[in-house]
Amino acid sequence: MRSALRWALPLAALPPLALLGFGLTRDVKNLPSALVGEPAPDFRLEDMTVPADSISLAEHRGRVVVLNYFASWCLPCIVEHPELVRLRADYDPDDVTLLGVLYQDAPEKGRAFMRRHGGEWPAVVDYGSRTAIRYGVYGVPETFLITPEGTVAYKLVGPLDRRAAPVFRAKIDSLLAVRAAGAGDVERLESADGSTR
Amino acid sequence: MTGRPGGPAARTPAGRPARATDSRPPGRGPARGRLLSLATLLALAAPPAAARGTPPPGAVPLQDSVPATRTPAPGTAADARDAELDALAAQIAARLRCLVCRGQSVAESSSQLAREMQAEIRDRLGRGETPEQIVDFFVESYGEWILLRPPPHGVNLIVYLLPAGAFLLGLAGVGWWLRSRRAAGPHVASPTRHEDARDDGLDPEDRAWLEAAVRERR
Repeated sequence: MRSALRWALPLAALPPLALLGFGLTRDVKNLPSALVGEPAPDFRLEDMTVPADSISLAEHRGRVVVLNYFASWCLPCIVEHPELVRLRADYDPDDVTLLGVLYQDAPEKGRAFMRRHGGEWPAVVDYGSRTAIRYGVYGVPETFLITPEGTVAYKLVGPLDRRAAPVFRAKIDSLLAVRAAGAGDVERLESADGSTR
Repeated sequence: MTGRPGGPAARTPAGRPARATDSRPPGRGPARGRLLSLATLLALAAPPAAARGTPPPGAVPLQDSVPATRTPAPGTAADARDAELDALAAQIAARLRCLVCRGQSVAESSSQLAREMQAEIRDRLGRGETPEQIVDFFVESYGEWILLRPPPHGVNLIVYLLPAGAFLLGLAGVGWWLRSRRAAGPHVASPTRHEDARDDGLDPEDRAWLEAAVRERR
C-alpha cells in the first residue's frame, strides 16, 4: 500500500503538468476565427488612393474576395507583398477581388507603401479599426477569404508568404470551382477543398 | 534581522508611482511618435509597455486620449450621463481580454487596439446598446476567448470544476491514508525489535533456549 502511494503521488502530478505544458506551447493566435462560416460583415470605407471615394464589400458580391489587413509599419506585410502581387497577376479581377484594408495607419503612408512595394489593387482606410474589430482582427497581416455569396470561408493570421500561399490559392481555386458549378454554400466548399489537396 | 531593513524599504509605496511613470510608453506628446512606438510594440508582439497598476474602479484614464466625438458640457445632465456611460464602458472593458497583451484586460491596456475597443464600447453604449449586447458583439467577432471569465458551459466547466474536484480527491486521499494507517496499527507503522525476532526462523525449542539464555544474562 505504501509503495502504491509512493507512485500515485508523482503520477497524480503528471496530468496537471501535461495540461500546463499543452497550454504553454499553444499559440493563442492560432485560434480558429469565430467568423469562418458566418456572413462577412459589410462595410463602406474611404478609398485609400482616392479619399473622396468609398469602397464597400457588397459591391464585390459574385467574386471571391481576398481581404487583406495591412499597415505600412508592419514588417510581415512587406514579406507577403510579393505574393499578393503574384496573386493579383494570376487571377482575373472579374473572378477574384483583392482588397487591402489599412489598419492603424495614415492613408498617405499606405499610399507610399503601395508605391514603394508595387502592385495595383484597391485599398480602404479603417479609421478607429472599427471594421477590424468587427472582423476579429488581432494584428496585421491578416487575410480573409470571402465567398462570392459573402460568407467568410477562411482566415489567415500572419503573412501570406511562400509557405501559406499554396493552401490559400487552393482555397481560392475551390471557391471558384464552386462558383463555376453554380452553387456555393460552405459545405460544398469544404468538399471541393478536400478534393483539391 | 540584518537583511530586513532593506527589504521593505525597496517596496515602499513612494517608490511605486515613480516606476510606473517611467515605464509609460514614450512619445506622450506627439500622436505620431506614440503611434509609431505602439506600432513597433505590435509588430514585435511584445507585452504592453504599460506596466502601471490597475486603475481605480470607475476611473477611465484612457478615455481622455481616445478621439471622441462627444463634447462634454460641464455641469449638465448630459455630463452626468456621459460620466455614467464612461464608468459602464470601463466595466465592460474590464471583462474583455486585451488581444495584443498577455493577461491584461481592455480596460487596463494602453495599446491602440484596446483603446479603439474602448471607443467602440463607449460608442455602442451611446447608441443605447446594453452591456450584454456589446459583449456579445465582441464574442461574435473574436470568439469566447475574448472573455476574461469564460462562461460556465461545455468544455469551460473544466476550469470551474477541476480545482474543486482535485481538492476533494486530495481530501479523500489523505483520509484514506490516515484510515489505513490507523487500521494497520503499530504493526506496519513501527515494527518493534521484538516482532522482528519472531520472523527470524527459529523453531520453538531453540527460541525457548535463547530466551532463557537472555533472561539468565540479565
